[in-house]
Amino acid sequence: MRDFLIQTSWWVPLYGLIGAVLTLPWSTGIIRRTGPRPAAYFNLLMTVLAFVHGTLVFRATWNHEPYEIVFHWLKAADLDLSFSLDISSLSVGAMELVTSLSLLAQLFALGYMEKDWALARFFALMGFFEGAISGLAISDNLFLTYALLEMLTLSTYLLVGFWYAQPLVVTAARDAFLTKRVGDVLLLMGVVAVGTFAGSLDFPDLYEWAETATLSPTTATLLGLALIAGPIGKCAQFPLHLWLDEAMEGPNPASILRNSVVVAAGAYVLIKLQPILNVSPVALTTLIVIGTVTAIGASMVAIAQIDIKRALSHSTSAYLGLVFIAVGTQWTDFALLLLFTHAVAKALLFMSAGSIILTTNNQNLTEMGGLWSRMPATTTAFVVGSAGLVGLLPLGGFWGLRLGIDDLWIDIPWLVPVLLLVNALTALNLTRVFRLVFLGPKAPKTRRAPEVPWPMAVPMVSLVLITLSIPILMQSLSLLPDWMYINQGAVLLLVGSGLIGTISGAAIDLRRNWSRPVQITLRFLQDLLAYDFYIDRLYRLSVVFAVNQLSRLNAWIDRYVVDGLVNLVGLATMFSGQGLKYNVSGQSQFYVLSIILGLSLLCFLMSWPMLTVLNTQL
Amino acid sequence: MTITTLKCRTHPLAAYINRLKAGETLVPDTAENVAEVVGILKSYGVVLDAYYRNLLYIADHQFLVLFPFFKYFNGDISLKKLMLHWWHDRINFEYAEYCMKTMLWHGGGGLDAYLDSQEFIDRSQQAIQAKIKDNFLIRGLHSLFPDFLPEQVRQQAYYSALGQFWQVMSEMFLTLSDRYDLREIETIPQVVAHIRDGLVAAANNPITYAVKIENQVYEIIPKSVGLTFLPDVAIPYVEAVFFRGTPFLGTVSFNAQAQQIPPEQARFEYGALYADPLPIGGGGIPPTLLMQDMRHYLPDYLLNIYRHSLRGEDNLRVQICQSFQKSMFCVTNATIVGLAPYPLDTSDAAQQQANQVYLEKWMDRFITSRLLEVNK
Amino acid sequence: MLSVLIWLPVIGALIVGFWPTNMTAKVSRKISLGVSIAVFIWSLVLMSQFKIGEPGIQFSEFLPWIEALGLTYHLGIDGLSLPLVILNGLLTCIAIYSTDESINRPRFYYSMLLLLNASVVGAFLAQDLLLFFLFYEVELIPLYLLIAIWGGQRRGYAAIKFLIYTAISGILILASFFGLVLLSGASTFEFEKVYAVSLPLGAQFLLLAGILVGFGIKIPLVPFHTWLPDAHVEASTPISVLLAGVLLKLGTYGLLRFGLGLFPEAWAVLAPWLATWAAVSVLYGALNAIAQTDMKKMVAYSSVGHMGYILLAAAAATPLSLLATVLQMISHGLISGLLFLLVGVVYKKTGTRDINVLSGLLNPEGGLPLIGSLMVMGVMASAGIPGMVGFISEFLVFRGSFPVFPTQTLFCMVGTSLTAVYFLLLVNRVFFGRLSANVLNLPPVQWSDRTPSIILAILIVMLGVQPSWMVRWSETTTTAMITHSQAVVQLPSVMISQ
Repeated sequence: MRDFLIQTSWWVPLYGLIGAVLTLPWSTGIIRRTGPRPAAYFNLLMTVLAFVHGTLVFRATWNHEPYEIVFHWLKAADLDLSFSLDISSLSVGAMELVTSLSLLAQLFALGYMEKDWALARFFALMGFFEGAISGLAISDNLFLTYALLEMLTLSTYLLVGFWYAQPLVVTAARDAFLTKRVGDVLLLMGVVAVGTFAGSLDFPDLYEWAETATLSPTTATLLGLALIAGPIGKCAQFPLHLWLDEAMEGPNPASILRNSVVVAAGAYVLIKLQPILNVSPVALTTLIVIGTVTAIGASMVAIAQIDIKRALSHSTSAYLGLVFIAVGTQWTDFALLLLFTHAVAKALLFMSAGSIILTTNNQNLTEMGGLWSRMPATTTAFVVGSAGLVGLLPLGGFWGLRLGIDDLWIDIPWLVPVLLLVNALTALNLTRVFRLVFLGPKAPKTRRAPEVPWPMAVPMVSLVLITLSIPILMQSLSLLPDWMYINQGAVLLLVGSGLIGTISGAAIDLRRNWSRPVQITLRFLQDLLAYDFYIDRLYRLSVVFAVNQLSRLNAWIDRYVVDGLVNLVGLATMFSGQGLKYNVSGQSQFYVLSIILGLSLLCFLMSWPMLTVLNTQL
Repeated sequence: MTITTLKCRTHPLAAYINRLKAGETLVPDTAENVAEVVGILKSYGVVLDAYYRNLLYIADHQFLVLFPFFKYFNGDISLKKLMLHWWHDRINFEYAEYCMKTMLWHGGGGLDAYLDSQEFIDRSQQAIQAKIKDNFLIRGLHSLFPDFLPEQVRQQAYYSALGQFWQVMSEMFLTLSDRYDLREIETIPQVVAHIRDGLVAAANNPITYAVKIENQVYEIIPKSVGLTFLPDVAIPYVEAVFFRGTPFLGTVSFNAQAQQIPPEQARFEYGALYADPLPIGGGGIPPTLLMQDMRHYLPDYLLNIYRHSLRGEDNLRVQICQSFQKSMFCVTNATIVGLAPYPLDTSDAAQQQANQVYLEKWMDRFITSRLLEVNK
Repeated sequence: MLSVLIWLPVIGALIVGFWPTNMTAKVSRKISLGVSIAVFIWSLVLMSQFKIGEPGIQFSEFLPWIEALGLTYHLGIDGLSLPLVILNGLLTCIAIYSTDESINRPRFYYSMLLLLNASVVGAFLAQDLLLFFLFYEVELIPLYLLIAIWGGQRRGYAAIKFLIYTAISGILILASFFGLVLLSGASTFEFEKVYAVSLPLGAQFLLLAGILVGFGIKIPLVPFHTWLPDAHVEASTPISVLLAGVLLKLGTYGLLRFGLGLFPEAWAVLAPWLATWAAVSVLYGALNAIAQTDMKKMVAYSSVGHMGYILLAAAAATPLSLLATVLQMISHGLISGLLFLLVGVVYKKTGTRDINVLSGLLNPEGGLPLIGSLMVMGVMASAGIPGMVGFISEFLVFRGSFPVFPTQTLFCMVGTSLTAVYFLLLVNRVFFGRLSANVLNLPPVQWSDRTPSIILAILIVMLGVQPSWMVRWSETTTTAMITHSQAVVQLPSVMISQ
């Protein structure tokens, strides 16, 4: 039985894909007289199957040696592209996290999207999403990982573009795709290069190769940078971070997954790549720098946001920045733990945000207030989610950050303040959002706010319980440190930073109206942060402008130089310019003329060799 | 004063004011329009019938049920019905709830005011206590979050109120269709008159709400509060659903920084009279549910009109929505006529002036509506 | 066996074109569709009989023809031409099926299409240089007519431009063939007999230059490409499908067969330049595509870019990259065929291809939702998203070429991200957003508009998920080609002594 379960563990990602395929009759409009909900049920069922199967596999792998499954996909010439899967408790655990969050998000979507007639398309994409991410979790081959990352890019594009008739969605989907694509193509360069150098794309082979690799420093640096480019795009890290903000135009249930497991997928790949990155110290340093810049920058940007989804999504970038730091400093246990705890807590926060949006038809924090006593599940979800994210109470986020501080304490102590700062800023931000949404007087848009119905409340409450029980889970997986070894200074600093953040979040003056600071510097600072340091404008003036102008120039050259020259030299002599340029032919004479021309040309060509041959023979 | 006269002369929709004064209608009176409006109101009547029965069922029988798995079944649970339900071969009651929530959210009228009164709080507390007295968990929750259950009761009250409103409307639309079939109604003005008469007749119907918990009846909205059909439900409904509505996720960005949604609900223009029918059928457009429901009950003469359009049944739901918008302008027209301070064809100058001001107020709101489109 | 593939469509063309009694458009369409399907099925039968492990040509047919000239009727098929023959059969069926039923002068049109089919197959099957050239030239006439008669407004200009370019290409190729035979002193044009010839390097360069430019026009490579956008824009949809799907492949096929195959030594020397040329072509095509506003022109320029990958892989000439050329030819044939079909449907329904005019066509009621979804899929396939055939073929191109030409390969990869840019622009403008007021009342889409695209889409996904179904047919041949050319390059003396 155990063997069977493990042998078939590759089915788990397929369930999601099968679910996606099953929705086709509805999403393509073949079934039009009845509604699309069966498609949603099929997907939910498939995800339940994936979850159950995954759980069984997880139990089977627990305390066992990792198991490898290899599929020979394509053998072409000297290249053997095989998909190897790593079935270990870590990878299956990651897969479980994906399927369980996907299950909750889909159930949530059943409520959130109940009025949406494109439900089938939505669930198809969610199934696709789930399949790709859970495949990523167990992939042990860089080629497969790359392919799945690309599929994630595609499904992100389609999910963000779900409401394709909405103007901002259109640009958001485009930017999400292109930004990720830039990272992906750089990663592809890395994949092709490392595949050539190492001769294999299986991670174990690559690790082996990396230990003994002798590359020139330049090559090694370029390779390392190319490999981290993909995760930079996926994890919304500076400078490829803008898409995540825009992607908040997409449906909220997809945002739940995007902010928890999709960005985590990118980081997970980075963790997988980490032993290979050892060939390039520059790449590792880059990771630390990018992570630090993003973590601090995004934390501050989050505080200036007035949109509830964006206030949360920028903090996602910040936490993933910490993960980048962890990988850059080679503390992968910290990276994994932070990813896990962040995913659960952030999913919960986004569920809470979703039910606020649905109830109040509003995402603007300045137009909210006073929701707490009427929405128990939503309020609890927000509080518990925040507590699970911030290092203050002994929930997931606390243990994750504690581990990080412990890890960095001796090695690279200057990074500890970064962690503490991010923790404090996150606490401040979440307290701010909590006050704006749940406390204070009722605003017109929050005047009538009944709690959401059960399809949304149940996943929310379940995730609340999961978040609360994470320390117990960690205890049972022996992930919690022994009391004796706890670095008390670190814990004090962490709790202190969380406390400072929370208190200052509770104390700051909140503006609910549109008026802005009078002081010019403050105003500038607020705008600078609210508009994300104006980086999108910077892009528009640099990269976008350059590509645009280059392509125009190119088209001009093509039209007037290349084509013009050819027309002028090669052809104009043979025909009158008039006849050639804009011949509005319709006259049969012209056809006849051209046929005769063609045929005579052919005859000429045919007879010429004959003549030559005769010539030589004579 | 001069400004007002100037305004009336230059009002962009002055033509429609004159039409109304002359006893004509907002929707042009053509045979095809009559067929479209009556036909669509017929299927709307059928759908509303199902909607109101379900709303009343939920209001009366699903009072504070936290897991209302079978709320759309109206108490009649069978395997066959369950299968059809799962296959989504059913009326989309979600749309009725959507209208109810929109009404609740926008508020307005006597019902909204009553739900904030001390009397309501006292009465709802009694019902709540009776309902949760054996449920320790919920009682704990209730003491932690004291407004949670009262807010749910407010929602239940709206379930009931909208149900009562649609009960009248459904019957009115179905008799309209019957009279059309009997050739009693042949013009748009007759349609408007039928609706106006129906509204006037029901205007003073009391709106009440009571639930039965363990054989004890709890009056949440007793008759003594004096809520009536027209001012407390119908007008807020028209305001909330016809005019304001809620922004559709499929066409409007909720991004706070993009500022596409006005901060004041009074400036919302997403209602049935404003919505663009073209995106119907796509993602994030809730009225699709209603159009989908109506497509099953179209009378043959209307279906024929649709089938003979260029796209045929391919864009059926968009065509339904276009007709529906016309019919909703007829309903609004009837409301305008019914609520006018004086008869619109009055010859008294002062009354004319009052009517003019009254009509302009309506027309101001129609400027950005689909009025011009339905007149094409 | 192979002759059937050529002569069956010719007979079909004669029947449709010259049957004495009146033939309605419907009947001529049915006959030609029947013939093309029969040819396609026959090619599948051949495929089932094809021996995968054999590197050489199979089903060989030989007839001496004009012995004085050294011209023989020698046909054969190997792993390089087999996939192309099948692709040609498939796309011809699709082209005939997706032709407008109310087309003008149907009998002439269908007979030209069948003739085109025959001549293209002939070129792929010919094992004699002159015979190849004959078919290569014959193909030009029906295609010219198909553009010149059934094209758009500027069809005369486009057709003549196409004709002249291709004629020049033919002259160059023919000149090289003759030069080769004359200089090597062979008495025949049979491919197998001149195959192993080895000339002084200078002469090789000269002859190879003719072949490169000749086929470079056909592929087309920058700067010889300007006939292609014009031809595509003016040609009707089925013709565009054939042009992009199959006819351009004659160029790459010729390059592989006669460039790399006949001049391995000179090829090896020129290869770095060829790879650079490929990178320029890729980037040039992609950048130009970004600037286009006509959907068809955009797809046409994307063809220029994507055909550049084939040159890159051919230049690298590793066993993997050569195999990748075959895959890329097939995948480009399927994907660009799909894209042209879809653009054709949009044009047919809306009357425009301007991306600034169209918008919101994904609208489920008033737009073209299924066509739009297929378009999203098609552009994603073209941009190299996994799960579809474009990804694996591009990956193999890059993976095969990188060890030899790392820099050029990296530049070509930039091209794939540019592909995403212009195609996303297209999808976002045309299919996303609110349905534009210009196209409010579109005629309904029939299933016959959708079926061909659906077939291609299914193939794109199927071969993308299971690429070994393509790889297996060609691997032996391409590997043998490389082994051969490497042997020639490394041991020139041995070859000369033969």
